[in-house]
Amino acid sequence: MKLTIDRAALLKALNHVQSVVERRNTIPILSNVLITAEGDTARFSATDLDIEIIEAAPAEVATSGSTTAPAHTLHDIVRKLPEGSDVRLETSGDDPKLTLEAGRFKTVLPVLPSSDFPVLSADGMTHTFELGPAELMRLIDKTKFAISTEETRYYLNGVHIHVVNGAEPPRLRAVATDAYRLALVEHALPSGAEGMPGVIVPRKTVAELRRLLDGASDSVTISVSESKIRFDLGAAVLTSKLIEGTYPDYERVIPQGNDKLLKLDTQVFKDAVDRVATVSGEKSRSVRLVLGPDRLTLSANNPDAGQATEDISVDYDQEALEIGFNAKYLLDVANQIESDEAELLFADSVSPTLVLDQSDADARYVLMPLRV
Amino acid sequence: MTASGGARSVGGMRIRRLPPETVNRIAAGEVVERPASVVKELIENALDAGARRIDVVADGGGVAHIQIADDGRGMSAEELALAVERHATSKLTPNSTGEWDLLRIATMGFRGEALPSIGSVARLEITSQAEGVGEAWTLNVEGGEHGDVRPAPPLSGAGTRVDVRDLFFATPARLKFLKSERAESLAVTDIVKRLAMARADVGFTLKGEGRTRLSVRAESGTPHEARLKRLADVLGAEFESNALLIDQQRDGVRLSGWAGLPTYARGSNQHQFLFVNGRPVRDKLLVGAIRGAYQDFLARDRHPVVALYVDLPTDEVDVNVHPAKTEVRFRDPGLVRGLIVGALRHALAAAGHRASTTVAGAALGSARPGVDSPYGAPRGWTAPRPSPGGFAEAMPGLAPAYSARLEAGDLLERGAAGDADVSPPIDLPLGVARAQLHETYVVAQTRDGIVIVDQHAAHERLVYERMKASMAETGVARQALLTPEIVELDEAGADRVVARADELSNLGLVVEPFGPGAVAVRETPALLGEMNVPGLIRDLADDLAEFDEALSLKERLEDVCGTMACHGSVRAGRRLTGEEMNALLRGMEATPHSGQCNHGRPTYVELKLKDIERLFGRR
Repeated sequence: MKLTIDRAALLKALNHVQSVVERRNTIPILSNVLITAEGDTARFSATDLDIEIIEAAPAEVATSGSTTAPAHTLHDIVRKLPEGSDVRLETSGDDPKLTLEAGRFKTVLPVLPSSDFPVLSADGMTHTFELGPAELMRLIDKTKFAISTEETRYYLNGVHIHVVNGAEPPRLRAVATDAYRLALVEHALPSGAEGMPGVIVPRKTVAELRRLLDGASDSVTISVSESKIRFDLGAAVLTSKLIEGTYPDYERVIPQGNDKLLKLDTQVFKDAVDRVATVSGEKSRSVRLVLGPDRLTLSANNPDAGQATEDISVDYDQEALEIGFNAKYLLDVANQIESDEAELLFADSVSPTLVLDQSDADARYVLMPLRV
Repeated sequence: MTASGGARSVGGMRIRRLPPETVNRIAAGEVVERPASVVKELIENALDAGARRIDVVADGGGVAHIQIADDGRGMSAEELALAVERHATSKLTPNSTGEWDLLRIATMGFRGEALPSIGSVARLEITSQAEGVGEAWTLNVEGGEHGDVRPAPPLSGAGTRVDVRDLFFATPARLKFLKSERAESLAVTDIVKRLAMARADVGFTLKGEGRTRLSVRAESGTPHEARLKRLADVLGAEFESNALLIDQQRDGVRLSGWAGLPTYARGSNQHQFLFVNGRPVRDKLLVGAIRGAYQDFLARDRHPVVALYVDLPTDEVDVNVHPAKTEVRFRDPGLVRGLIVGALRHALAAAGHRASTTVAGAALGSARPGVDSPYGAPRGWTAPRPSPGGFAEAMPGLAPAYSARLEAGDLLERGAAGDADVSPPIDLPLGVARAQLHETYVVAQTRDGIVIVDQHAAHERLVYERMKASMAETGVARQALLTPEIVELDEAGADRVVARADELSNLGLVVEPFGPGAVAVRETPALLGEMNVPGLIRDLADDLAEFDEALSLKERLEDVCGTMACHGSVRAGRRLTGEEMNALLRGMEATPHSGQCNHGRPTYVELKLKDIERLFGRR
């Protein structure tokens, strides 16, 4: 194999694939990136056996072929090469080494045979549909903060994407929850997605996909099977296993009858919560909301750090209410709200609260209160 | 399955009565489990006979030969013959109405099983001389076969000598299941030690395997002092200066004994002893109660040394639960448990910031002038931990001991110039700060010595205690779950957890019954963040069964507090001003339990002037 590639193109490809590679591996070849040169393209591929990313970059291929080299080392070297340099990658047939040259710099890296590199097959994809990068990004960004990190509830460690058939017309919905709060975003059902199985996309896959979506402009082709999902972004292809398990029946926790409507300025609210929560406990971060006529008092009390209160003007004409929340959960949700005005719907101080975004009717957030 | 008669004749088997030897061997299987149990039964007999001195010999792991000689009342020829009969005992007598009451047992033994059981599985020889009689009698039993009572050469006084040889020769199967000779020998030592701890007024010796393994004189003096002396003899001399007196009484139950300081903790719970009415017992109740009482002071893998004696009316406790009597059943376990936890906590709180003298002793021990250092620079004295850089870099080439002295001098001068209270009243327990060494240790002068404080450990404890106080004040915030988490347990476990729902809710965990064998968790402690709920509930069910206390939850909450305290406290390597150092010392005096950090390590060491004078050979 022998090829020459622009440093910037090489770095971008390595940037995308190397984050899949775990720092420590019991299987040595998983620390490597698979490089394949053919025609006028170099393909870089990395996997942790659960996720695989393949990225293509234009290159001048003198001799086609393939090899695998340590991903993190290669990435570190390329990162330190001067901008604008041309990078030559070469392996000679009988010598199992990869030579990298750029200008007067030269390095020789150990390789492992490319035939041993595991490939995540994408057979048996049953449904394929397209989604614009901005639409896909929205589904991810507005839900991923609520993904659970508790591994015993493994089925919550991802974003649940499924088709809502009850609605007319059917919708595509993304949901994430950690059992304390829940985020739900919908999108019109793209053609081809009808009848697709509900899937749980793992947290790491969501994060990798999000990185790939930065700067993507072409629409993304998504293929789904019972056990795998593939995102084809043109230059990059991400294939991932899905979390096996049943996503809990979350719909019944979304409050239907909450009638105490509070409207407030999103930014004012966020700033006030943040300020007041400064004195609340480091871990529980509890903030108390006291609702009166057109007025919301936020307060936090911590015998150690003191206490803080802030009044903000709001739109509220229901009976008085007092309710506590984890400030972090409040801010996480408030950060998703795009409109200047957010709507909070309460039932009482122990029941779930619904948060709505005026500019995005397809997004809903549910928060459980904190009790002291 | 049709008729019971059919089941009875399977394989031609008929029900028949067992011959007495077989009955004795079966009984022996329960009472005489291993050599140590023989030793235990025989020592208990000796104690019941009023012995003041008991000499034990055990060879070959106690299998080859065990000899127990006492100076008790002894037996006459008639008693001797009866003693080896099953269910013959002097220890139970009918009351005035002719009833035999097993609920009021004041002696160690009562079942009348020991001697016949031992006799049925070993070669047993008993020689005894009754009080006030000049003649001794002897009797042999081999594998259950009784010999005749024969006259024997007189002993030196009243008493009984029992020789057991070739233990389990009659039951080869049991012999096969014994552990190594060494392990059996250790078990023998352990039981003798336990019994010796139970009875400070009796002298014990244990010989065998070519050496004397224990030799303690009968202690006189007040019961507490005698006991402490005995404990020090058995557990090690250091225990004496590191033990807190426990003595409390509630509802007719008396708890006394000695509890080790947290800084004198061990790596296993093998050094926790419980005696109920003078009887050594192993009880999970004790393990749980001790864990609960010391929970704040020790890392989870450190265990305090404790010897506790519970004395209660004999009808409040059932010792007839287990043939070897190693387990007992209390009529009111909650009372005993509460008494133990309360008394230990009380003693620990009263000890306040007292740290283990072992620590000071160890520091002194390593401060002896070495042969290699002609100027006697106290090398080992600087610190157990390496100093975090700083000085060595600033003054390369200087030996650590010199630099430490220079730095101290330097700071002393600065202190003298800057501080108003250089010659202050130093009647304060922890004295007045004089210097900070290696930016890690605060050295303070007290009226009669010096105190060295580990600033990080000390401050960490202050922060931790403050956080605990604030948690107690505001309660634990509870984060509600979107859907209750249903945790499947066994029915008893679920009942136990639900029964303590109120207590758990104060700790931030709200549970409700959810049908038989399941609990619904509605709210979890906000402090713990996202958590493994089923794991916690199962741990709690186990805790409640075993220790009767929600330890896992408390420990997790305190773990979080501990971590936050660690992060929120002054680190080693931070330079403190005189005011800061004095504030730290005053804080330690005002804070309960400031003598050890959250992991049971000492936060300070005190060296008395006389200790220091000893170092220099002035005393």
